[in-house]
Amino acid sequence: MEIELQEISDFLISIHPFENLPQAIIERLIKKINIRYIRRDTSFSEKLKTPERLYLLRKGAVSLLSDNNQLLGKLGEGDICTAFCHIEEDVKFTIKVEEDTLVYTIECQAIANILQDYPEQLSFLQKKSNRHFKQDLFNVQETNTLASSLMNTQISDIMHHFVATAEQSTSIRDAAVIMSSNNVSSLIILDQKEVVGILTDKDITRRCIAQDVSTSQSVKQIMTNNIISASAHSNAFEVMMTMTRKQIRHLPIIDEEELLGIISVTDLLRLEGRNSVYITNAISKADSIEEIQESCQIIPQLQLQSVHMGASADHIGKIITAISTAVTRRLIKLAEDKLGEAPVPYAWLAAGSHARREQSSHSDQDNALIISDKMKPEDDEWFAALAKFVCDGLNQCGYVYCPGDVMATNPKWRQPAKKWSEYFINWIKTPSPKALMYSSIFFDLRSLYGDNQLLADVREKMLKLSPKNDLFLAHLSFNALKLKPPLGFFRDFVLIHDGKHNDTLDLKHNGLAPIVDLARIYALSEGISEINTIERLKRVRGSRSLSSEGADDLLDSLEFISSLRMKHQAQQINIGAETNNFMAPVELSKLERSHLKDTFKVIQTLQNYLEMRYKIG
Amino acid sequence: MLSQWFGYEAKRKRLLAKAPPGPLRDFLSVPFPDPKTPLNKTPILAMDFETTGLNAKTDQILSVGHICIDSFEILLSSAYHQVICTQGELKEEGVIIHQITDDTKSQGQKVEAVIEKLLYAMAGKAILVHFSPIEKNFLQHTCKQLYGMAPIFPIIDTLMIARKRLDQRTSLYSPNDLRLFNLRDSHKLPRYKAHNALSDALATAELFLAEIEYKQPKKSPPLKSVLS
Repeated sequence: MEIELQEISDFLISIHPFENLPQAIIERLIKKINIRYIRRDTSFSEKLKTPERLYLLRKGAVSLLSDNNQLLGKLGEGDICTAFCHIEEDVKFTIKVEEDTLVYTIECQAIANILQDYPEQLSFLQKKSNRHFKQDLFNVQETNTLASSLMNTQISDIMHHFVATAEQSTSIRDAAVIMSSNNVSSLIILDQKEVVGILTDKDITRRCIAQDVSTSQSVKQIMTNNIISASAHSNAFEVMMTMTRKQIRHLPIIDEEELLGIISVTDLLRLEGRNSVYITNAISKADSIEEIQESCQIIPQLQLQSVHMGASADHIGKIITAISTAVTRRLIKLAEDKLGEAPVPYAWLAAGSHARREQSSHSDQDNALIISDKMKPEDDEWFAALAKFVCDGLNQCGYVYCPGDVMATNPKWRQPAKKWSEYFINWIKTPSPKALMYSSIFFDLRSLYGDNQLLADVREKMLKLSPKNDLFLAHLSFNALKLKPPLGFFRDFVLIHDGKHNDTLDLKHNGLAPIVDLARIYALSEGISEINTIERLKRVRGSRSLSSEGADDLLDSLEFISSLRMKHQAQQINIGAETNNFMAPVELSKLERSHLKDTFKVIQTLQNYLEMRYKIG
Repeated sequence: MLSQWFGYEAKRKRLLAKAPPGPLRDFLSVPFPDPKTPLNKTPILAMDFETTGLNAKTDQILSVGHICIDSFEILLSSAYHQVICTQGELKEEGVIIHQITDDTKSQGQKVEAVIEKLLYAMAGKAILVHFSPIEKNFLQHTCKQLYGMAPIFPIIDTLMIARKRLDQRTSLYSPNDLRLFNLRDSHKLPRYKAHNALSDALATAELFLAEIEYKQPKKSPPLKSVLS
């Protein structure tokens, strides 16, 4: 091929499923590409051509709409549109060009010919086109349920009626003063009474300070013109979609050229928070497992939407955990209704990520029961029945059975308080490899229901004991250090185009688990009772166990890897796939790659410190 | 503008009568597209040269890149790029820009062969370039040396189209805004590495599609409305 078309080749191999194809095949594909430019707000279908073609968006954005104007999907840079590959008679749709768009088109038949020896790639494209509409329609329905509260909310009900404004001749410095004295992060810029731009605190940082522009200049120099606005009559969902797509955080509300108010992403996030509250409420009122199950189906969409809105992984983890807790509590209630009152006091315990409030939509169940020491042997029958009911119910609601059998249905983890204390004392005083496997689960325990004091007493004893036991901490560290961040992954990364390496990165075990383990060890060695990883790191920050810099680095790393995982799962949810933690390297941008590498180095450094401290190996 | 085209056609016929047999005569024997043809029916060749400098009399063409536009679609199958093995050593400051070294150059083809192929590709088409004086002067000068006669060809210049568009607006613009890559940026087109004849030809072709969409998005304007 002409080496001069390198940019097109680079673009093509950055898109799945073209990334691992040999250069010769890529060159043949490129020869079949035609390039078109479509202006914003034109309809695509009128330009539709036979034979059937596949579209690759090189730049811009388009929306696919059903015949009743329901949004089926949005496509952006690097997205493949197979909508025209199998035009089905019964599916009516239109394509709306949202931004000026540069597309590459290839005849479907030509692709089929060129990829005939690459069934995997070909079937991906064909499957994608077959599944497309049904799947998208299904997704729309799910999103709609979730979005209904957003859809039923008029922007005028939630916007801020007070808007800080300034004339365009105002100096940047004066604008900053207006912003800070009104405690706002954005300023609408006017020319007489007409809205001509918007200025945010970020603009001041990026376009003024970072570029060495004098603050005595007028705001006109650094404001964003061509601002996008919404009508006060639009609903919150539409506005959210616009803001997500355009990646803007503030939107003025204008009707008939009159500035009525302003809305920020935070306002919408708050509304979305009510959404999860609404789900939690519905769960706590459910009368059957089936009803709970129905409410749970929305969790993946909730995660997806939160990711789209830019919520932090920590925030999403807490929302999802709140729902899991509601589900567990409701199931216990239903069990108690069925089984009668408990013979003695008890508490239902969540372990692992649920206890740490770090769940994502596909988490499995880890739980246990702690029972009052007054328990008689025959009482266990009641608790066994409770455990079976709740664990089966959780499984039915999508929290699959724990593969390691860490569940209340296991008699070992359904014990009176004194037995739990014994367990902990044993794990700490005579650490064995197997004991330590459990410790990573059971040192993160939270009481969800019942007599919370039962667990509190056991944990208090345990936390007094653990900091003094260097041997235990050393063993625990030894175990934790088995999970190393895969720095070698980046070597493979370079080789990924040779087609042999289809490695994926396990974000949970190679990324999150080492940080969670480190935080647990620091917390135990400092005798700190927090369970959530972020809270643990904040508490041990600047202690004997962890410097403040180390803690800050780990907190950043945690947020970064968690957000990668949330994004990865959001993509899977989006295409209707099962979610998992395995991220293919192609999903990462170059920037993310280098950031991830730095993150792994942080983890490795802190693991090395730990190793030296307990002189392991 | 129409008279200008009549000038084109008349001049083509006059030159054809005088042209010596060979590539130039073959080129001139194909009529130019009718200026009344809608643009989407006009065969267009986007073209770019890399040169050793800016003076057609003393500098030489280093490489040629071109690509066809048909019905407002750029056909990558038609992408063509060729380096010419020019005489003499290259100036260092030039090498930095066009990235063609003496080594690559020595693997190039002779200028006669490249121009012959180029004329063949150009025949019967409207020629699309960004800032036409360079391509026009260099091609005419080289043909004069090779065939003793300079050809004429209908030119569409994206710089002129963009300038017309910007002139109609009230706001001021700087000459810098008219550079290929700045115009592309203003249409949100992707960034390509500058200064390679083919990728510049492609960049010009994409810019042309964008400019036409802005000019008259509903119907296809005739060729004459964009001829320089």
